[in-house]
Amino acid sequence: MIHFYHVTKRFDAYSTALHDVTFHIEKGEFVFLTGPSGAGKSTLLKLILRQIRPTEGQIVVNGRNLLAMKRSQLPYFRREIGMVFQDFKLIERMTIFENLSFILTAIGLPAKEHKKKAYGALRAVDLQHKINYYPLQLSGGEQQRVAIARALINDPLMLIADEPTGNLDPDLAQEVLEIFNDANLRGSTVLLATHDRDLIQRSNRRVIALDHGRIVDEKPATAEKPASRAESLFVNWS
Amino acid sequence: MSQQVPSNTLAYFFREAFRRIWVSKRSSFVAVAMIAISLLIVGIFLLLSENLGRAVTIAQGRSRVEIYLVADASPAQIAAVDRYLAAHRDFVRRRFVSREEALRRFASYFTNLDPVVKQLEGNPFPPSFECDIAPSIVQSAPFGREVKELRATSGVDDVQFDWEWVRRLKRIVNVINIVGLVAGGILALAAAFTIANVIRLTMMLYREEIEIMRLVGATERIIRGPFLMEGLLQGIFGSILALLLLFTAFLLARRLLPPANALVWSFLFNGFLPWQKIVALIAGGMLAGWFGSWLSVRESGEEMA
Repeated sequence: MIHFYHVTKRFDAYSTALHDVTFHIEKGEFVFLTGPSGAGKSTLLKLILRQIRPTEGQIVVNGRNLLAMKRSQLPYFRREIGMVFQDFKLIERMTIFENLSFILTAIGLPAKEHKKKAYGALRAVDLQHKINYYPLQLSGGEQQRVAIARALINDPLMLIADEPTGNLDPDLAQEVLEIFNDANLRGSTVLLATHDRDLIQRSNRRVIALDHGRIVDEKPATAEKPASRAESLFVNWS
Repeated sequence: MSQQVPSNTLAYFFREAFRRIWVSKRSSFVAVAMIAISLLIVGIFLLLSENLGRAVTIAQGRSRVEIYLVADASPAQIAAVDRYLAAHRDFVRRRFVSREEALRRFASYFTNLDPVVKQLEGNPFPPSFECDIAPSIVQSAPFGREVKELRATSGVDDVQFDWEWVRRLKRIVNVINIVGLVAGGILALAAAFTIANVIRLTMMLYREEIEIMRLVGATERIIRGPFLMEGLLQGIFGSILALLLLFTAFLLARRLLPPANALVWSFLFNGFLPWQKIVALIAGGMLAGWFGSWLSVRESGEEMA
């Protein structure tokens, strides 16, 4: 589903965000991307969304070579990906319904289908009763669930999240993780970038650890408690 | 993947454009005012040229030629001129004005000069022919040749026709049209740049929404549509405002200008613009608005490092 081949990203001569990164994420996998601040996690996610281009190497996402992709194809490619951000990126002047409807308009879905789709997505995150609220009337956890509903509304093949629990307490973080788990069970490939050590330990999913733009460890999914370099990295930071 | 064409896209463009204009009322007003001022100036010139053009058309419809004979023209010479005029179809409804009739006319036109007329020892007015001519032929080469031949005919002193001043009037109309279009064009361009800046500011205001839209897969058409619509609407509002101002000024001018100058204003304010020119003005406003917003949105593509 996501394939990186010797990808390097340099923003200028003195700052290299990613060094020769190679990894593969198969369809239906749930993968944590972890590492300290500045490790290159956000750069990697931006490369997957083709917000930026690699300096070297190749990226293939869902069978498409991102370097060869035309700009005009980009919107249709991105519709296959649901993106969740740490700061939610909800539009404050719009109600929750409008925040979701706005996305459906953006991707060209007829208005008559908006209500049904929005209601369905909000039910998946158990917020259907707050459809007419404004974002600022919701708690941080609720706002993040709305953001996830927005990412899920178009039934994406992939769900990519950049620190989705960064602003949440552990209980809310677990709730949010459950929503990602559900999406994964329904068939979406999930790539979740996070600092949250407990979240990673509890889930026993595959982990890719980055540091200074390099993959420093990969831990496969396991039912057992993980003990790897990715783990030791956390120990070193804490 | 095929591109979906949503039925609600246009409604979304309109709704968003109206909302954004409302949110940025002040800057939108400046843009609309700029369009209105530039189109008002174009409109004033169009109105002037339109009315002058009408005057030209009326004058053309009344085109007349006067063939003055020498004072002592013989009956044979008069008959020769009459035969020439009869033989050429361009000269319609010819009338012979004898010296006596010319004197009578003068006396009746200028009654205050009656004592002077009575003191005249003889009749100073020459006999003449008056002919109507079709407006379509006055500028034609054959007609020019005929006038030349008439002037060379024995017994003819002069041939006068009122096309000269009509031609001058036409030249004035052309100059007014050109000046109006150039001045209006420059102002419309300035208005378009104002709109471009207003739209640029609006885009700055909505940059987060634009970023979200791009990330969820909105096409550039969907992202840019409301901004283009915003410029288009500002252009329409500006042109409608310009037309309302122009029409008000036109009515006020007709009503308030003193009757003593009626000759001038009846000439200049005979009628308002025809619907074709009204539509053209609105289209001009729309074009300026669209061009302004296009200038902004074309720079707004996603930057890719």
